[in-house]
Amino acid sequence: MKIISLNDKQTLAFGKKFAQTLRGGEVLALAGELGSGKTVFAKGLALGLAVEKMVTSPTFVLMKVYSGQLKNRAVKLAHLDAYRLNEGGQLLEIGLCDFLGKPDCITVIEWAERVKDILPAKVIWLRFKLGSTEKQRQIIVEK
Amino acid sequence: MANKQAKEFVVLGIESSCDETSVAVLVVKNKQFFIKSNIVSSQIKIHAPFGGVVPEIAARHHVQNFLPVLKEALAQAQYSPKKIDLIAVTSGPGLITSLLVGAQAAKTLSYAWQKPLIGVNHIKAHISANFLQPVKFPAIALIVSGGHTELILVKSRQNFKKVGQTRDDAAGEAFDKVAKILGLGYPGGPIVSEQALNGNRSAFNFPRPMLQDNNLDFSFSGLKTSVLYLVNKEPLSSQLVNGQSKNQLIADLCASFQQAAVDVLVGKTIKAALKYRAKAVILAGGVAANKSLRQQLGEAVAQKLTAQYLVPEFSLCTDNAAMIAIAGYEEYQKTSINKLKTTWQNLVVEANWEIPSL
Repeated sequence: MKIISLNDKQTLAFGKKFAQTLRGGEVLALAGELGSGKTVFAKGLALGLAVEKMVTSPTFVLMKVYSGQLKNRAVKLAHLDAYRLNEGGQLLEIGLCDFLGKPDCITVIEWAERVKDILPAKVIWLRFKLGSTEKQRQIIVEK
Repeated sequence: MANKQAKEFVVLGIESSCDETSVAVLVVKNKQFFIKSNIVSSQIKIHAPFGGVVPEIAARHHVQNFLPVLKEALAQAQYSPKKIDLIAVTSGPGLITSLLVGAQAAKTLSYAWQKPLIGVNHIKAHISANFLQPVKFPAIALIVSGGHTELILVKSRQNFKKVGQTRDDAAGEAFDKVAKILGLGYPGGPIVSEQALNGNRSAFNFPRPMLQDNNLDFSFSGLKTSVLYLVNKEPLSSQLVNGQSKNQLIADLCASFQQAAVDVLVGKTIKAALKYRAKAVILAGGVAANKSLRQQLGEAVAQKLTAQYLVPEFSLCTDNAAMIAIAGYEEYQKTSINKLKTTWQNLVVEANWEIPSL
């Protein structure tokens, strides 16, 4: 599936809508260069999961965990960023195991191509690309 | 009238939330703070090849560094553990693995020495570094670092409320990412600001995200993307590879980017100060070491407000335990020593501990 997003707002709305297709336990692997819309998508996802706290970049702390709701069920959103990493061991050491693939948790990993070693067999890849204009983005979903 | 000799109150501060291991001895006398020692062991060189702090490596080094740093802090201050009245430790926000080392060390000391223990919020502590001097309240504090960009309304030394924050990247993170885009290495803050010294800050007109919006939030993600777009586009991209004036170009990009970031930080801080009729403006956090920001915020406060302008000396801007000790002492005013005697049994660290919003 390929989506063309014309601006931040559309990427955010896509993230929000995407949340509705989830059932819990999914691992979303986001790939794409700086500024291609990964964090905006994660913010949209959080909106769709009724997360009340403001979702901000996890680059510095590597992982932030939020409480939300999916189909009237309490879920956690684990938001990770592997931008600074070359392998996934670091993410396991800060406690990713507590969330990865758990049925009451949605895991979303930015720069996931850098930590392929720790991704489970079943992941949903979302590849973000800069578009032909400054605001346009391409998102390719591979299930 | 009884001649009451003011008694000393001694606080041992412990900080390990990121990549600096620090222990400090603080003496409080007549409500005044005296830093007797403030030992900081930085791991910045260890993490530089990774382009950022690696949590597991940081935690290992905290374990290694803690006892030598503690011993040096006590020796330099010439205080024995017996004289300590309170132990204060950072219990969030920060890297969970780093926080745990300091907290565990503090719990152990609290139990072994039978001293009360208090957990401290790292953001409040950055602000508290300014309480070495008299501060007028209410104050507006801008906290800028690699992990945070927040505006805090400080109503008293013990009353903190968040009134604004970044909606995406922290300011320090934007500096790091721009440094990476330009191939300048890590840490980005000092590198970009040094490059900026030789650059023209109006060479490129980068956006000032959210500066005109009617709120106190920040956004630095788009600014970073603008830099990326500019350097990816011709003719800049080829000039950056083999142009004759490549160095000047990088300096100009750094200066223009830094100016855009500083404009937003200064603009929003002044807006907050006006809104809450602040009598003081406080700058704190690692990016407070940025000379352009220190200077331009000071100038703006002098021009647009009738308020004190406070910024810690450089050694108290970056992570250190003296600020933790000060914040611990203030926090202790709200509770009792008796309650704190059992904190070692139940202190919990919180990686994402936020200051409550107003």
